[in-house]
Amino acid sequence: MGRITLDKITKSFGDVQVIPPLDLTIEDGEFVVFVGPSGCGKSTLLRLIAGLEDVSSGEIRIDGKNATETPPAKRGLAMVFQSYALYPHMSVRKNIAFPLRMAGMDQKEQDRRIDNAAKVLNLSDYLDRRPGQLSGGQRQRVAIGRAIVREPAAFLFDEPLSNLDAALRVGMRLEISELHNRLETTMIYVTHDQVEAMTMADKIVVLRAGLIEQVGSPLDLYKHPRNLFVAGFIGSPTMNLIAGEPARAYDATTIGVRPEHMALSTESGKWTGKVGVAEHLGSDTFLHIHETGLAETITVRADGEVTLRHGDTVHLTPVEDKIHRFDGEGMRIS
Amino acid sequence: MATQHSRAAARLMISPAVILLLGWMLIPLGMTIYFSFLRYNLLMPGTEAWAGFENYSYFLTDPAFFAAIWNTLFLVGGVLLITVVGGILLALLLDQPFWGQGIVRLLVIAPFFVMPTVSALVWKNMFMNPVNGLFAFLADAIGMQPVDFFAEIPLLSIILIVAWGWLPFATLILLTAMQSLDGEQLEASEMDGAGAVSRFFHIVLPHLARAITVVILIQTIFLLSIFAEILVTTNGGPGTATTNLTFLVYAESLLRFDVGTGSAGGVVAVILANIVAIFLMRMIGKNLDA
Repeated sequence: MGRITLDKITKSFGDVQVIPPLDLTIEDGEFVVFVGPSGCGKSTLLRLIAGLEDVSSGEIRIDGKNATETPPAKRGLAMVFQSYALYPHMSVRKNIAFPLRMAGMDQKEQDRRIDNAAKVLNLSDYLDRRPGQLSGGQRQRVAIGRAIVREPAAFLFDEPLSNLDAALRVGMRLEISELHNRLETTMIYVTHDQVEAMTMADKIVVLRAGLIEQVGSPLDLYKHPRNLFVAGFIGSPTMNLIAGEPARAYDATTIGVRPEHMALSTESGKWTGKVGVAEHLGSDTFLHIHETGLAETITVRADGEVTLRHGDTVHLTPVEDKIHRFDGEGMRIS
Repeated sequence: MATQHSRAAARLMISPAVILLLGWMLIPLGMTIYFSFLRYNLLMPGTEAWAGFENYSYFLTDPAFFAAIWNTLFLVGGVLLITVVGGILLALLLDQPFWGQGIVRLLVIAPFFVMPTVSALVWKNMFMNPVNGLFAFLADAIGMQPVDFFAEIPLLSIILIVAWGWLPFATLILLTAMQSLDGEQLEASEMDGAGAVSRFFHIVLPHLARAITVVILIQTIFLLSIFAEILVTTNGGPGTATTNLTFLVYAESLLRFDVGTGSAGGVVAVILANIVAIFLMRMIGKNLDA
């Protein structure tokens, strides 16, 4: 069980309030990702849930029980840190065993759980090594192993993949998703990388300056961003945001068009521009179009076979029913 | 361009420094060894004669020699124990955030800057004096018999004085080591259910192992040659109660004017120091790699 409810929690450091009153419910078994630019308070929020920071006001409930004053060890949550925080003087086995030893569990049960976790995480061959002798990905798995053996109500991940190289990151992303499917335990995952958020989450919480901008499923956020911030943050490459005259034609202050919703033509179209950089990915080509009079650059997704060259003149037409409209406050007009 | 010529030139260039350093070390050592085989008394100049191992047998069978060995070991061991344990505790304390941290840290380091003769004199006359000392006053105040430190517990008194001087050194090194501990490791162990005490023993202390090794190694080197504190307080007495090896060598050569025996003692001291060094390296040197 791992249903976590945050009830009007706030956090201030001295006079600075980093988390204004915030409500959030995380259902049992959900994979929730907190995403936002750096300094948006997502890590602080996670640490509040973990109990490593005290809330300034409000209430945290875990499975309906008030856990606001409960010390971190008693909350039944396990955390995987950005730096992995492995104990360098202990072998992998001792690292994984540490929470069990602290709980005073008997040796047989300890061994059973450790061997189980090692099998799940492909660590069986490394149990006697020190963390210093492992690669980044293996260390990551040890950190996850140390969390798994406790059989916690929920896992907390604090940017766990940011120290890995790109290829490894994609692999670990899959492994963590896989793990979630198998364990069916609540997971809360903090990242600044919206791709990680989109690929892993059941539910994404977009944060900015301690405020929740939007909560929803990845596709929900992608299709119906509630405001300009979410529109610009979710999606890669980012949504084209166009203000001024072209937007007024749609009764909005700003309109947003995703790169894949921009039709490209060499003959005719609504807007005209010149091709700048073309990024060929094989399956797709992302074209950066300049001199459109709409915005500095307009990004367009074309198919992989496109033969346009630098400096060619092209015409753009947005897909009418896929245009996102935003008002003067940056809120969505539906 | 490390050609044959430039390498030869490089050797030529550094040779003055190497020769100077080598001479600095080898000439005194050679002279000490040479003197240790002579009957050489300053009261009878001009009567130096070859003595073979007589000086050595005289020095090694002197009852004061064994007393000096034990005193040296107790002195080094006692000071190490106090400074390492005290240093860890002080470092733990100073690592906490509190008001006036900077000033307090500066004050803690201060004893290290007081020269040994001065600190020993201050301790002797202001604290440990059985009539006028602060400790005597305190004992009087609670109706106890004042302790005559240098008569009743002379070696312990010296250990206290030396430990006071070296405590800041240990504290400083251990404090910086403690500050280099990754905060996330402590938080992780906290989430893993470790209380403050198990956090200290399972996370902090292993992290400090290397720093403790450094403290022990460096302090041992200096503590083997403690001299000033003994000279200004007890003069090695009462009897030989506070005579360590260094002081014994001094007593032989400059109080009894027997340079030959003093030199033999010096050579013995060098050999013993090397044995200690080898043992130390064996025991804790493995902490330094990894």
